[in-house]
Amino acid sequence: MPILTMLLNGNETSVEIEPGELLADVLRDRLHLIGTKIGCGEGECGACTVLVDGLAVTSCIYPALKAAGRQVTTIEGLQQDGKLHAIQAAFVECTASQCGYCTPGMIMSAYALLNENSNPSVEEIKESISGNLCRCTGYYQIVEAIQLAAQKLAEEGGETS
Amino acid sequence: MWREYLFPQSVAEALEMLHAHNGSARIIAGGTDLVLQRKEGKATVEVAVDISRIPGLNGIEVTGDHVRVGALVTHAQVAADPLILERAAVLAEACSKVGGPQTRNVGTLVGNVVNALPAADGAIALMALDAEAEVVDLEGKRWLPLKELYQGVGQCCVDACFQIVTTLRFRSLESSYGSAYERLAKRRSLILPILAVAAVVGVDNGRYQEVRIAMGPVAPVPLRASAAEDSLRGRPIGQEAIKQAAAKALAAAQPRDSVLRGSREYRQAMVEVLTQRALTRATVAAGHSLE
Amino acid sequence: MNPSVIGHSVSRLDIRTKVKGQRKYPQDFYREGMLHAAVVWGAYPHARIVSIDTSEAEAYQGVITVLTHKDVPVNEYGIITMDQQVLCEDKVRWLGDRLAVVVAETETMAREASKLVSVEYEPLPVTDDPRESMKPGAVLVHENRDSNVLGYMPIRRGDVEAGFAEADVIVEGYYFAPHVEHAYLQPEAGLGYIDDEGRVTVICASQWAYDDVHQMAHALDLPEDRVREIIPAIGGAFGGREDISVQILVALAAYVTRRPVKMIWTREESIRGHGKRHPFYLRYKHGAKQDGTLVAIEAEIIADAGAYASTSMVVLANAASFAAGPYVIPNVHIDAYTVHTNNAVTMAMRGFGATQMPVGYESQMDKLAEALNTDPVELRLMNLYEEGSIAITGNPVTNGIGAKEPLIQAALAAGWKENKGHWRAPVIDPPCQPHLRRGLGVACGYKNVGYSMGFDDTSEAIIELRLREDGSIASALIRSGASEVGQGVSTVLAQIAAETLSIPFERVRMALVDTARVPDAGSSSASRHTYMSGKAVLLACQDALRARDAVLREKSGQMRVEGRALFHGRTMRATTPLDPETGQCEPHIAYTFAAQIALVEVDTETGGVEIIKMWASTNCGKAINPAMVFGQVAGGIHMGVGYALTEHFIQQKGWIKTRTLGEYYIPTVLDMPRELVSIDVEVPDPTGPYGATGIGETTTLPTAPAILNAIHDATGVWITRLPAEPETVWRALHGIQTVV
Repeated sequence: MPILTMLLNGNETSVEIEPGELLADVLRDRLHLIGTKIGCGEGECGACTVLVDGLAVTSCIYPALKAAGRQVTTIEGLQQDGKLHAIQAAFVECTASQCGYCTPGMIMSAYALLNENSNPSVEEIKESISGNLCRCTGYYQIVEAIQLAAQKLAEEGGETS
Repeated sequence: MWREYLFPQSVAEALEMLHAHNGSARIIAGGTDLVLQRKEGKATVEVAVDISRIPGLNGIEVTGDHVRVGALVTHAQVAADPLILERAAVLAEACSKVGGPQTRNVGTLVGNVVNALPAADGAIALMALDAEAEVVDLEGKRWLPLKELYQGVGQCCVDACFQIVTTLRFRSLESSYGSAYERLAKRRSLILPILAVAAVVGVDNGRYQEVRIAMGPVAPVPLRASAAEDSLRGRPIGQEAIKQAAAKALAAAQPRDSVLRGSREYRQAMVEVLTQRALTRATVAAGHSLE
Repeated sequence: MNPSVIGHSVSRLDIRTKVKGQRKYPQDFYREGMLHAAVVWGAYPHARIVSIDTSEAEAYQGVITVLTHKDVPVNEYGIITMDQQVLCEDKVRWLGDRLAVVVAETETMAREASKLVSVEYEPLPVTDDPRESMKPGAVLVHENRDSNVLGYMPIRRGDVEAGFAEADVIVEGYYFAPHVEHAYLQPEAGLGYIDDEGRVTVICASQWAYDDVHQMAHALDLPEDRVREIIPAIGGAFGGREDISVQILVALAAYVTRRPVKMIWTREESIRGHGKRHPFYLRYKHGAKQDGTLVAIEAEIIADAGAYASTSMVVLANAASFAAGPYVIPNVHIDAYTVHTNNAVTMAMRGFGATQMPVGYESQMDKLAEALNTDPVELRLMNLYEEGSIAITGNPVTNGIGAKEPLIQAALAAGWKENKGHWRAPVIDPPCQPHLRRGLGVACGYKNVGYSMGFDDTSEAIIELRLREDGSIASALIRSGASEVGQGVSTVLAQIAAETLSIPFERVRMALVDTARVPDAGSSSASRHTYMSGKAVLLACQDALRARDAVLREKSGQMRVEGRALFHGRTMRATTPLDPETGQCEPHIAYTFAAQIALVEVDTETGGVEIIKMWASTNCGKAINPAMVFGQVAGGIHMGVGYALTEHFIQQKGWIKTRTLGEYYIPTVLDMPRELVSIDVEVPDPTGPYGATGIGETTTLPTAPAILNAIHDATGVWITRLPAEPETVWRALHGIQTVV
């Protein structure tokens, strides 16, 4: 069986996998990172969104070996030393989560956006989560949370420069 | 899933791998279509030959009066590329509508073409650009016009077990040209179109010098509305001319009743509506106003 | 004295773990030595099972066992009537029927082996339209009965003939409300195992842990205290997790193999395997006087009960009770039928029969308004319930009946002007392009809170207090069986506890829902937990405080005290079933009201509809957590938008055509109203905890009706079937009939 080596949440990680195994299954079943959720298994709902080299992908249809040698970021990789990332904190503050199943994927899509675009318009925010389905919230509080996170990150960035 | 997953480092190596497995291996690029097909029990070859590590296939370049798009270029890259936006705006517009952001980050334009479904946004726009695909196998390489690739729903004449499409090319649209992509769907993201129409027009001295109208899904393959195109060429630009061309496009389309897409009647009526809208916007994009 | 926590948008108890991805749903659990199970589904919508041969599957590598009906001690289940078989023996009646469970070392092995279970069927003709299915001579879904009609409920009050004779205008209409898929993001999953005390234990996402235990124990022929259910987190429910899905299957597999067994359904299996919202064929006739007073209503409801009963009878009773909407109408003639077909089992879904009705009655109200040349808001306000109004079931509606206030608030926010009781709609700016039309649509909805029609509603709660030396409360633990499906019940209960105990919210925790450790709170349904379990928690807190006070008085030195309460809904109001001839009864414990106004833009060339703005006003009695109330409003609107415009569950002759989320379209962020204004109305229910009532369902009731009415205002056409997809609107605009 091939060994998949990737830079997972900042750590070089190697795991033995089946050749055709999909990234979501490797993360969940082999690496016990259950934060990445499977909502449809077909790339149609976004619940399984992770970042590969900074790009949001639906890991449930992403062959794991494609991630070899690449940077993979999952929801587990966002908090630092127990402190919530600004996006996570904003979701909490805006009550942007109800059942929570879409939440990790939603946050990862937002993370990908804010890494590329630190001052997104409402349209750009909606576009960035247009591949993430939510059945509970109606999306408004999620959009608000991403706006708040952008603001917070800009403030944080201002302080450190 | 696959018993073996291989990463060739060159096109030549990829072809050798395919040849060595003699029909039990096939090319995968982004995999957004292929993985789904495997899960449904189709496309069940044992070996995947993943071309995404081959250098030189992920570029968008201008060579002379052509734009070339490599096999690994994703829909997201096409949608945002300044060269495409400048020289083939309809293709950027079409690619920006495929699936959702995650799909567009991984799925390739070439993959969309090779998958050969009539509702493929990228392919519909490429048809209106008179695009060609470079097909490479152990016998050599050759350019094929896109329409020759399509043999039926999901049937591409390129055999992904033995051949690779490495590049797409089409002529840049000059400044006297305009293009537009109109798409009708039941929701605003993560969905295939009920109908899409891509229009390219070239205007000279107030007349339509060149007209290309491509649409899908109205037939097993993406369609060019040639009678409509012919009827518009040479005519002065204007709503009346556009309306008549749109009516001709309707007459050429032969959609069937579809459970998911709608009745034949509706789909045909929409051919006329979207063709009119695409031609209008393309004309405006070419720099001309229409009363 | 601690500041009040009621009315504050405190952070949800569970949100930190959710944003970190640490919250575990059933599929996130793993146990040592775990096996995997896969279902063999029935291959036809209607067929006799001639033989089942599991030998090839049993021989497949890694397979431990293949379970069939022979392995089920008592092969029956069902939430009210046990008319379903755990594993079918002689017949399949819908595609969701299960024949076998393959248990293997890995999921792949289980799924591959399941393809080798060989079943011989004798396909039977399929009945898929309840209007046909109810006729004599129709193919029988349950062949031991004489008819497919599962239930008939009439409502008779006053004299409709006289009423219509008195009417100055009469309007009629046929309406169709279709199947809806719940589409919760978390597919069904369960993990069954034998716990340290030898109990068959299932980790699962369910709306009612105790009822699951009851059904599992029944099927396994075990005493209920030898069966246990644990509910970690639930990825959405909306009624779809009320009925049994995987529970009995994994319990059986664990019971037989004595090893942990996990089952995860694919999305396709989820769509196939759980029931849907009931389709309703509605025929309405309303009569009103020139001054706008409603005088008579005649309605016929034909519901598709699908293959098995599930909660179809209660949904029908509910629907019938809401048939006229929140309006006073003295002369009533309603016939309601629920009929078996080979379509998907139909079950609870947000609204439970109350969602379909306004698709009919709110269109009717607008038709009346048009016929009377009266403003739609004004016509409604003239007839909406007030405290003590008599409903069509003959009972007075009481206890904080804020029926008018949401409509008034929504209308004023949307630009209506009122002058001496006359209301005038605002003038809308026309859209910029000639093929676009804009319109405003109004709709009201109402719903019960708590179980109805004599079904006893109870919720029990235990509060454990940890005391400090001085007797003050260090922390409180709520033990309640209330399933947190995402609606926020755990946070609401914690807020109520904090308020009642006068301690900071941060000191309150909620115990894991585990039937071994928490009492029965009833189901997460009927918008009932804030009201019922909130009351139970409030009373239990008061009991705990009494216990604490006793400890202090007696100086016993006890550091932990407990309070307990079993709250009976009937102490607030005792409900009764519909009278079999007249439908007169005391149907519901409490009520909840909402109104919504939609501004839509219709593309008259394509039939496409966009929602520019939505105003929603909801009477929540008391908004215990305003941010969570907004979440319910927005989420309810999401489902209503889908119901109105994008969601189309298609079955043909029992075969499912929309099998995945790639074919069944729930609204994406881009499909929602561009702008949403949400106004909470707080007309308190004096019987609810701190005046609060439930809102989880009522927020979805007016949405689709408001959109349909807005489409009419924009274009002049009535859309009478859902969803109003582009083609449906286009056909109406072009005068092309769509067969309902």
